Amino acid sequence: MRKAIFRNVAVVSAIFVASFAIMLITNYFQVRSFNPLQADVMETLKKINDENANNVALQEQIRQLDLMARRAYFVNLDHLKTGIYLLLAMLGVLIVCLRFYFAGEKDIPGKQIDVVDDWIIKTHARKYVGWFASALVAVALVFVFVTASHLRGTDAPNTPSTDIGQIAAVGDESTAQGESNVNQANQTRQGEENTVQGNSDDNATQSLTTIDNASDISSGFRGNNSNAISSAKNIPDVWDLKTGKNIAWKSAIPKHGFNSPVVSGNKVFLTGADESAREIYCYDLRTGKLLWTLAATNIPGSPQVMPKTTDDTGLASSTAATNGKQVCAIFATGDLLCADMDGKRLWAKNLGVPDNHYGYASSLLAFGNSLIVQYDNTNAHKVVALDMATGNEVWSKTRTDKITWSSPTLVFANNRAQLILMGNPAITAYNPANGEQYWRVDGLSGEVASSPCGAGGLVFGASEYAALIAVDATSGKKLWTANNYLPEISSPVATNENVYLGTTYGVLACYDAKTGALKHSHELETEFYSSPMIVEGRLYVFSNDGKMHIYTADSEFTLINSFETGAKTFATPAFIDGKIVVRSEEGLYCVATKK
Amino acid sequence: MNTTEQSNPNPVTRRNFLRMSGSIVAGGAIASLSGVLMKNSLAGETDYFWQIDPTKCTYCGRCETNCVLSISAVKCVHTHKVCGYCDLCGGYYRTNVKDLNTAAENMRCPTGAIKRVYVEDPYFEYTIDESLCIGCGKCAKGCNSFGNGSLYMQVKQDLCKNCNECKISKVCPSNAIQRVPYAKAYILKD
Amino acid sequence: MKRILSIITILFLGFLASTTTYAQDRFPRPDFESGYQYPATHYAIPNETLWLFVDVFLLVLMMGIVAWAVIRKRTRKPVFWVSVISVAYFGFFRSGCVCSIGSVQNVALALADKSYTIPLAALLFFILPILFTFLFGRVFCAGVCPMGALQELVNVKNYRIPRSVSAVLGIFPWIYLFLAILYAITRTGFIICRFDPFIGIFRLSGDIGLLIFGALLLLVAVFTGRPFCRFMCPYGALLNLFSRVSIWRAKITPSCINCELCHKACPVDAIRAPYNNKVKESRVQGVKRVLLYTIFLPVMVTVAALMMRSMSDSISRANNDVRLYDMVQGEATPKDHPVPELESFYGAGGTVVELKERVDVILADFKLYATFAGGLIGLVIGLTLLGLSVKRSRKSYEMDDAQCVNCARCFSYCPQNKIIENKIQ
Repeated sequence: MRKAIFRNVAVVSAIFVASFAIMLITNYFQVRSFNPLQADVMETLKKINDENANNVALQEQIRQLDLMARRAYFVNLDHLKTGIYLLLAMLGVLIVCLRFYFAGEKDIPGKQIDVVDDWIIKTHARKYVGWFASALVAVALVFVFVTASHLRGTDAPNTPSTDIGQIAAVGDESTAQGESNVNQANQTRQGEENTVQGNSDDNATQSLTTIDNASDISSGFRGNNSNAISSAKNIPDVWDLKTGKNIAWKSAIPKHGFNSPVVSGNKVFLTGADESAREIYCYDLRTGKLLWTLAATNIPGSPQVMPKTTDDTGLASSTAATNGKQVCAIFATGDLLCADMDGKRLWAKNLGVPDNHYGYASSLLAFGNSLIVQYDNTNAHKVVALDMATGNEVWSKTRTDKITWSSPTLVFANNRAQLILMGNPAITAYNPANGEQYWRVDGLSGEVASSPCGAGGLVFGASEYAALIAVDATSGKKLWTANNYLPEISSPVATNENVYLGTTYGVLACYDAKTGALKHSHELETEFYSSPMIVEGRLYVFSNDGKMHIYTADSEFTLINSFETGAKTFATPAFIDGKIVVRSEEGLYCVATKK
Repeated sequence: MNTTEQSNPNPVTRRNFLRMSGSIVAGGAIASLSGVLMKNSLAGETDYFWQIDPTKCTYCGRCETNCVLSISAVKCVHTHKVCGYCDLCGGYYRTNVKDLNTAAENMRCPTGAIKRVYVEDPYFEYTIDESLCIGCGKCAKGCNSFGNGSLYMQVKQDLCKNCNECKISKVCPSNAIQRVPYAKAYILKD
Repeated sequence: MKRILSIITILFLGFLASTTTYAQDRFPRPDFESGYQYPATHYAIPNETLWLFVDVFLLVLMMGIVAWAVIRKRTRKPVFWVSVISVAYFGFFRSGCVCSIGSVQNVALALADKSYTIPLAALLFFILPILFTFLFGRVFCAGVCPMGALQELVNVKNYRIPRSVSAVLGIFPWIYLFLAILYAITRTGFIICRFDPFIGIFRLSGDIGLLIFGALLLLVAVFTGRPFCRFMCPYGALLNLFSRVSIWRAKITPSCINCELCHKACPVDAIRAPYNNKVKESRVQGVKRVLLYTIFLPVMVTVAALMMRSMSDSISRANNDVRLYDMVQGEATPKDHPVPELESFYGAGGTVVELKERVDVILADFKLYATFAGGLIGLVIGLTLLGLSVKRSRKSYEMDDAQCVNCARCFSYCPQNKIIENKIQ
């Protein structure tokens, strides 16, 4: 009789425990999947409320929901707790009842599980252990195989996909156009490079040499060395966005910026920024597909609120720089971010939030494995070189110049690479390998925004309302000054004979490099923000309205072609063999001659 | 085997001998192990409690959901000496708040665990009601982004089960949860 | 007025946020004119020294009681009550931390890493049960360990698992132990603690998957003796070793009448029936087998070591730093939501180069220790095989000291023991 009671109680409690456990578990999963306090609905409603002031109905709705969420959370918690206690109590009852129910029976199993003979058991056991061991090995093998293929998968993208065909084509290219000024200039410079002595860092010079000669890379603002001279070949001389003529591809750019594209291998890099994010973009040079985006986030010292910038400067005015292995970008927040070619972030740091009334705008310069940053703001005046792979400081120099928006340039003169920095009031040349100052020439004033250029052992720099200054880079002596037409934002470019520049009020001017005499000027009813570039003996320059002007880069400075491209353009295009990559206000596009 | 045991009626059989030498080895092992460990344990300061380093904490909110307890042992604490007693409190109010009142749409805390009391113009005192706090870290994030950082997360040692390995410490993105010695059971700002 | 003030505050805020992100004192600490006093705050700290004392005292006391009950009194009652107290105190009241099973990892870490100081509680919880096992057999397992006690208390029927199967399952604790040590000394994590099936039950909260696993394990424990202790517990594996050489231990009633009751009552199958080897197998064959396994042993050790070595890269992924490195590597793909790990890593100024160095050290550690762990796993399997190929006859019932957990059930079943008990009384 008592046994029957225990049995019945046990059965009832077992049913209770089972059903209650199922209830609790489902309840638990419901709460887990929908945490009332973290519900998305609330966040969305609150955001909507932030945007619409004084929407009483909405506020009321939020308040109701909030109350419900809190109630749901705490009541649920309470239920869970009592539920568990109840479950445990019933479990206790079940076990006690079961024990009493079976108390009369001793633990004697009805039939013998094991065979009587000990040795047979052991023989079986050995067999099972053997099976088990082989199963372990099999599982391990499968595990290794599965995970190993996974590992290889992550390693593979490390090898950058360079277009071998293009590199080969560069090698084959003959230097048939030897008579043009530019090529002469290039040859002179190459000659100088060959005789470079131990004065500057050998490694850096070597990689610099390779960059300089490469025409499939446009490493920074205004091309390699930021000197506005490109050795690219087969450059198209006409295109039209409206009709699609000679347009290889067009792509939208997620966030705006005034910086220019840089190119390495098959990858085009540029940056964009707004209040919400600052990003590096990588596009495929062949297709225009956006390959990756890397945002500058989580950088120690990065400001929470964006520094004030003007509309014509913005947060992303500085052009990125690449050495073919890393790409680095800087933003008006002072955030410096470096990634490898596949968009894997390598390092990032904040150089100190710039105090800059327009917005920080100097572009980066890649010198071998060093990244050169001109950082002349109201609150800090310095130039630093950082290791592009690690972000470690190679050298750093404090500068005395006032706030400047211009970008560093590399020039070859006096058998050595010289890093030329514009400033207020001076142009200064440094050893790019260690920051040692070579020479310094005064003569600039006001807001210095245009960058220097160099050719034939001379360095030229200009700022509006001051002067165009020519400096002998060997002696560091000022040769001449001119002030007929001066650039404000656009930067000059030079050949051995001439200096060319575009002004904000629409004049393209050509000066004699030796004397400073004005040779030619073309008055166009437009404005020049974008900088002229010299390619294949021709000068390419965009006016702000999106018109492309192509002139001969000789002493005649005659117009070859001038045409509407169809989109406003402020950035300077990047030239690589057979292609021009242009950032217009409408997006990014690539010009290539259609065969 | 049979033969050995039969031929040797002496109690010191091979098995017994093995067993004895095993005992000696085991005893020696225990003695030396406890010696070494005792030395280790008594030499250094033992880190005992789990605690959050407020300088490392990023207020990711994982403390709320990863504690082994159903309501996390991590709570927000408030160091009044650091507090600016602001009217517009970044821990109390949501960002971009329009009206400084206690309406739900303006509140940062999802459970209303922060109590606000007027002190004197223009100061307000904020206190945490621990029984309501779920350790989500929203207020601490707000306070550290916009204010003095007087609100921050700490493991309440009276609630913490002091697991051998804190489950939150394994998911903490900034390794902010670490063992601390008895003397520093709380890492408080001052 | 308030409105204006708040607007000013917002402007002020915006200005400050842009310049001093990491400064703590964005706002000056107010000077109160109303005589306001900072509220006193008190954060409770439990008196851990007291609890350590109580814990260790109870541990020793209960192990002593069990040893006394099993070896001197040969009775089960005190063991049962010790189990109840242990589940109540160590289990529910103290929430199961720190426990002896988990302390294995602390000890391993302390031995491998000199910078780690082992807490006294963990040390004592590790060494005392081993010491008692060495002296009196597995008295800790009997009922002092809350996990064993819980399984013991819920056990109602004792359906037995074939010994050939339990011999295989008995290898699992060793594998678990070696893996746990591997993860502990590489500072990857304490997997014994993380996958503890019963701690959730003691705390009435925790990971739902583990709670369900624990409940299922308990359900199994209702019908067969101590599944966790026998087939999972890594500390049990250690005690199994020490128990083999224990100095004093529970014995079969001397005046045994070979009634077989104890054999059937034992929940862990630790009583061996008398056996006279009748297998018709030539002695040479037996010796050959033993020799073969002995030669095979180093091969197994090597193979297992190499297996684990090749797996070391994969198993190292449980390590937080290695995972972080993987995340950093996988950053190329644009992601919709921020990853807090990466935010914190970069936020703290970490560089990939530093991380790579750290990860390389960890990977090297993993490679080395995984090789050892693999070798040990191979050794355990090989020794199990060897043990299973030795023939031994028994004239009477014998205790398997390695398996016996001193639960004392057999005593209450033994008719001869009743007589002795009565005599003692």
